[in-house]
Amino acid sequence: MKKTLYVFSSGELSRKDNTLFFETEEGRRFIPVEDTGEIMIFGELTVNKKLLEFLSIKEIVLHFFNYHGYYMGSFYPREHLNSGFMTLRQAEHYLDEERRLIIAKEFVRGAARNIRQVLKYYHGREKDVARQLNAIENLIAPIDECKDISTLMALEGNIRDHYYHAFDEIVGNPDFIFQERTRRPPKNYLNTLISFGNSLMYTICLSEIYKTHLDPRIGYLHSTNFRRFTLNLDLAEIFKPIIVDRLIFSLLGKKMITKESFDRVTEGIMMKEKARKCFVENLDEKLKTTIKHRDIGRPVSYRRLIRLELYKMEKHLMGEKEYQAFVARW
Amino acid sequence: MFVILVYDVGQKRVAKVLKKCRQYLNWVQNAVLEGEVSDANLKKLKMELERIIHKDEDSVIFYSLRTTKYSSREIMGLKKGGDENII
Repeated sequence: MKKTLYVFSSGELSRKDNTLFFETEEGRRFIPVEDTGEIMIFGELTVNKKLLEFLSIKEIVLHFFNYHGYYMGSFYPREHLNSGFMTLRQAEHYLDEERRLIIAKEFVRGAARNIRQVLKYYHGREKDVARQLNAIENLIAPIDECKDISTLMALEGNIRDHYYHAFDEIVGNPDFIFQERTRRPPKNYLNTLISFGNSLMYTICLSEIYKTHLDPRIGYLHSTNFRRFTLNLDLAEIFKPIIVDRLIFSLLGKKMITKESFDRVTEGIMMKEKARKCFVENLDEKLKTTIKHRDIGRPVSYRRLIRLELYKMEKHLMGEKEYQAFVARW
Repeated sequence: MFVILVYDVGQKRVAKVLKKCRQYLNWVQNAVLEGEVSDANLKKLKMELERIIHKDEDSVIFYSLRTTKYSSREIMGLKKGGDENII
């Protein structure tokens, strides 16, 4: 599987000898293009058009994050899998309120079930999350009865609310209390971690969408607008609990991230570079780990799992097989 | 598949071979590269190298491992090339 390149240092990335070349003050290094799937940029990087042309040919997506670690945007190379057919099917399902709701519900249901799975695990490990677990179980059934997107969104918000309240119990560390979900900017350590993880998750989903015929601009749960990609946000909902949140729990549990990993800046809290690196490293490791897939009967990595989800989407849109969100069983 | 590639080619073709290999593998030290490649890419690399080298003078050796689980890697002295994906 092609690797993701994470660039934290400052330097120049260029095309040289038909491959990628990264030069910093400390040294120079060639990166095999054929083994590069996407590049995430956190440092101050100099890029020229020649490189972008090359990346476009090689179909490598660039994701930019700013100094504070927030997602800034992507260099999304020209579509290479052009399927007008798929775009039409996608739009068709978006415009028809009923059909859109079917897909949106499945995303919420998938997310809720995965959340339940995470809580169940901790419940089994004698963490006191029974109340939240119960509340969420009671909210899963009403998903079916939602009549429109806004009530569905509200329901999803409720589920997340209960879920996040279980975090304090799971983490069990007074430095990392949840309080409430704050964003732009996150106001405490735990929120900072969640935001950072989620934004990485969105870009990973976007990169996977790029490898399929789907158009990231047409999402179902998140309404399509003029500004941003939305399908990746929908897709990330399903995987956030089982990938990002679990990663956060294990990083905190192993004390790989402590309160010393953060800087307080105006209006918010920021992760130090070392902490960011640690997070990214472990996320990358996690995405590479394989699990045995029940339907396919062979091991697949977490990253592959995301792509499989998109293939299921495609099948649904083409009317071949109804989409059912992935639910973790462990 | 994990591949270790070593080459010993005529001086004129060293640069050509190196440039080609760098597109697919990580350079680790003079005339040695290693890295993860797909079956298709390995075939591609082999074909492209065949076009560059002179079969009666040069030699390129591929060591391929299905998994690196049963191998270990240790470096004595300087670490010359890198394979990190977080830089």
